[in-house]
Amino acid sequence: MKKVIHLTLFLAIVSVLAGGALAFFNEITEPVIAKNNEEQERQSLLEMYPEADPDQFVSVDTSELESTTINKIYQYDDVYIFNMSVAGYKDGTTFLVSINADDLTIDKFVAISNGDTSGLGTQVLEDPFKESLEGNPADGQLDTISGATVSSQPVVDGIHEAASVVEQLD
Amino acid sequence: MNRIQNFKNGLIKDNPVFSLFLGICSTLAITTSVNNAIGMGVSVIIVLTVSNVLISMIRKITPDEIRIPVYIVIIATLVTIIQMLIQAFAPALNESLGVFIPLIVVNCIILGRAESFASKNNIFDSALDGIGMGLGYTLAVLAMSLIREILSTGGILITNPFNTAQVLLDLTLFPEDFTISLFGSPVGAFITFACLASLVGAYKVHLEAKENAKEK
Repeated sequence: MKKVIHLTLFLAIVSVLAGGALAFFNEITEPVIAKNNEEQERQSLLEMYPEADPDQFVSVDTSELESTTINKIYQYDDVYIFNMSVAGYKDGTTFLVSINADDLTIDKFVAISNGDTSGLGTQVLEDPFKESLEGNPADGQLDTISGATVSSQPVVDGIHEAASVVEQLD
Repeated sequence: MNRIQNFKNGLIKDNPVFSLFLGICSTLAITTSVNNAIGMGVSVIIVLTVSNVLISMIRKITPDEIRIPVYIVIIATLVTIIQMLIQAFAPALNESLGVFIPLIVVNCIILGRAESFASKNNIFDSALDGIGMGLGYTLAVLAMSLIREILSTGGILITNPFNTAQVLLDLTLFPEDFTISLFGSPVGAFITFACLASLVGAYKVHLEAKENAKEK
């Protein structure tokens, strides 16, 4: 009995120390990571519409949407820009997609990050995939990447979801 | 002498990847580019050295029955801290290494060295072993990624891990028409791994033969 208590206590102390160290480093890195993400998103929005002024992107209230994939929605002219995170193998993909409110076509697509296998899942970050999406109807048939279906199918599903949200918003 | 020998062993003779065959999974996966190899190598050196030191520090008070869970808690904590630091201060590296950083937790090299070396030796020797084995791993992934990147892309591209836009080295060795894209895929990883492992094996046989001849 004494042995069991000793072992339990030892493991508990090690875990508490580990937890403390993690909390300390989280405190230091969390604001920097949040700032990095914000900066990256601002850059991506400007990359989509270089002629725009950052103030022209109006944030749309998403609190009533029951979606686990939509992070933020912005309105710019007559397009809605969705910031979405979808599941892949592991971290999945975070991307921006802008959809025309008039005809539901995909105006621009920018993949921000992908945590899947380098060279396979990360193909969703590359130009051929982007080009296969842009200009096509967001609520219609969209091509996935063969060999990286697990990473690209959730992106296509996410765009379909975004299209249905645009219909609700309009 | 013994210490220097211990340190040197990790580099070639007991190279964790090509000789002990530890940590192959991440080696095969991340060696598509030299950039990834450098990032992963540095991360493994840091985790391996610090975990070896910590485990050696508590080796006398760690109860034998729960040593493995204790090692895993320590290693997982270190890897998570490294991941948070990379995410915050080298986001570009985080993007390219992505899923592989958490995989260091289950990298057998680290648990293997904790169990077979750090838990039995003093802090200084454990730190040296960590650095030696970490450098051995880095050498292995660098060698593999150099071969794979050159053959699959025709050159080498190294960017600043803190800013991907800043290119540190962009070398083109032959035109794109002559590249072998196979080496960018997992098949190429296995072929490169097999060739390098057999070279290291041949070198070890040669060393042993030399030693035997000396004894006689």
